[in-house]
Amino acid sequence: MAMSCDRSRKKWQKVLYKDQGVSDNYVDESFLEEMKKNLHIRTYEFWAVVRESNVVMQQIYSVWIFVAVYFHMRNFVLTPQFLFEMSSAVTIVGYIVNFVILHENALTKSRWKDGKTMGIFLILGFSLSPILMTLTKTISTDTIYAMTFFMLLANLLFHDYGTDAAIVSQAFSLNAAIFASICLASRLPTTWHAFSLVTFAFELFALWPILRRNLKIHFPRLQIILSFLLGSVVTVSVATVSSVAVVVFLLLHLFITILCPAWLIRLQPYKNNIHGPWDEAVIKQ
Amino acid sequence: MKHSICMVSDFFYPNIGGVESHIYQLSQCLIERGHKVIVVTHAYGNRSGIRYLSNGLKVYYLPIQPVYNQCILPTVFTTLPVIRNILLRESINIVHGHSAFSALALESIFHARTMNVKAVFTDHSLFGFADLSSILTNKILKFSLAGVNHAICVSHTCKENTVLRGKIDPSDVSVIPNAVDASIFTPTSTERDPEKITIVVMSRLVYRKGADLLASVIPEICSRHSDVQFIIGGDGPKRLAIEEVREHFQLHDRIRLLGTVGHSAVRQVLVRGDIFLNTSLTEAFCIAIVEAASCGLQVVSTSVGGIPEVLPPDMIQLAEPSATSLVESLDKAIAKRRNCQLLSPDGAHDWVRKTYTWQNVAERTEIVYDKISAATEVTLADRLHRYNKCGLVAGKIFIFIAALNYLLLILCNWISPVQNIDLAIDCRKLRRLKTGGVNLEQSS
Repeated sequence: MAMSCDRSRKKWQKVLYKDQGVSDNYVDESFLEEMKKNLHIRTYEFWAVVRESNVVMQQIYSVWIFVAVYFHMRNFVLTPQFLFEMSSAVTIVGYIVNFVILHENALTKSRWKDGKTMGIFLILGFSLSPILMTLTKTISTDTIYAMTFFMLLANLLFHDYGTDAAIVSQAFSLNAAIFASICLASRLPTTWHAFSLVTFAFELFALWPILRRNLKIHFPRLQIILSFLLGSVVTVSVATVSSVAVVVFLLLHLFITILCPAWLIRLQPYKNNIHGPWDEAVIKQ
Repeated sequence: MKHSICMVSDFFYPNIGGVESHIYQLSQCLIERGHKVIVVTHAYGNRSGIRYLSNGLKVYYLPIQPVYNQCILPTVFTTLPVIRNILLRESINIVHGHSAFSALALESIFHARTMNVKAVFTDHSLFGFADLSSILTNKILKFSLAGVNHAICVSHTCKENTVLRGKIDPSDVSVIPNAVDASIFTPTSTERDPEKITIVVMSRLVYRKGADLLASVIPEICSRHSDVQFIIGGDGPKRLAIEEVREHFQLHDRIRLLGTVGHSAVRQVLVRGDIFLNTSLTEAFCIAIVEAASCGLQVVSTSVGGIPEVLPPDMIQLAEPSATSLVESLDKAIAKRRNCQLLSPDGAHDWVRKTYTWQNVAERTEIVYDKISAATEVTLADRLHRYNKCGLVAGKIFIFIAALNYLLLILCNWISPVQNIDLAIDCRKLRRLKTGGVNLEQSS
């Protein structure tokens, strides 16, 4: 009929209230025209990603240093007094560096508060150390090592690396690390050992990330040097415990620093983000 | 050709909602056209068993309680015996499932296809692609749509979304919009306040329905126009935000919060307004704006999802999902109202009455039914091939599920043979006796 010829020459409109003379399952050329793919894509540059991956490596260095320290204490190479003195000295230096970086006043109230917190912690820690020793007496060493492994893994997984992901939980990460340190501390011979290890763990997992973050914000170029330094410390301390461990560490380092960025970049072409009028609208300000 | 249709969904009366009334109205219109329609849903509290609604619409309230979000627990295989029994008893030749959220609908379609009964699926909502729940739901949808004969979507945007999510051929998807019962939503000019311009909002006060946008638009409009008042029906977590706005800007006499409005009272609230405001962030069709248009209100809405396709430009002002754009569009609508440039309420009502009718929906759905009835039967091997295309790993899992379901069907056929199942009485025969032998075609 002449009427339907007329209609078919008119452009098909994406509306529901007009009978456009076509069947309901008609597919127009403008089908999926408004679909957009990969709108907010980021291009990654290999060496930039490698540089950024050192954030993860630094936390891994902390974990390895901690375990190495435990084994050194176990083998009586490291005395608890030495560990306590060294870690306290480094902590005080780090604390001074931190408030210099943040341009804070040296004699404000928060110094007094920090001092009080430290005092309370040391006293509590020292008085609870004998309990720590006997806490896991009946559990076999293998179980302790397995628990420590999973707790330190949890620490790495939930740590705040600076992203805004849902999996990040600073509290959970710190708790896992402290639990790991308690597990290991219970395997050491004396109360002194336990106390110094737990104090070291707190300084390493609670205080050091804060300084690290502030250093990253104010002196981003120091990160590589810091990573190199820490990396060498880890290699040396682990090497004196076990040569197999060093090899594992170096392979892990290679995997995270070189292989993972390469993999990420290789997968970029497969990205398939679909956007279109069906998306839930984002309220524009 | 007259069919025996089984509508399946987790969402049906006594629940009130879009999908529920869609199923009910469509079933009634199909019965008017001479088809046999039954509805299968889960139990609602004590309501379990077989009930009859008007015109002989038989509803099977299966003795399964809903577990989460009004839906039954998805078990895939345990619904096979009961669905098989119902399909054989009622001699069903088409199963029509509604809503991708309904586990019962998806499972029934799966069992129907295992029994070589034709299946149609209607999608009522839009989905994302990126978050975890969407990825899983889309996989399940791919599985369902791989077996289905035809799909129906309520808008063109919904069709594009379903085709992308379910990876099906677009010519296997028909676009059949929703409709309203215009006889319920009639305009009455006497209810309106002639001194003021009343803006009505009728939605759940949640993030998805743009309650935040509403909270930022209200003070702006109230400050620009002194004769504007708001009536807000609906409740939800964001109600507090609206109340805070009311407190902060001292608009107690200009904003009325009605709380939850029962379905039968919606019309009474709508006819008090001049303008209907919809701030949703995502909608496949948005039946609320059609109801408002039917009551003679001018609609102002965010231009999201399928909303731009629903009403012509002289009946709706579209805006970007931002407060400034909405305020601009509201200004235009208010200006038009002041200059009496709006379409008359009766004109709007007549337009809706002629355009969005359930009879039209039923007619177009019947075309889909006729088409799939005429299509050739798909063999089990073909079905398994289609399931395999759903994904590298998922494909194999789906094949396994489909094959297991087929074996379970053979087991059911052996335990309870087809010959032993009594056929249910066809209500149409009873109606024919009652109306004195009007000649309707029998179904095969």
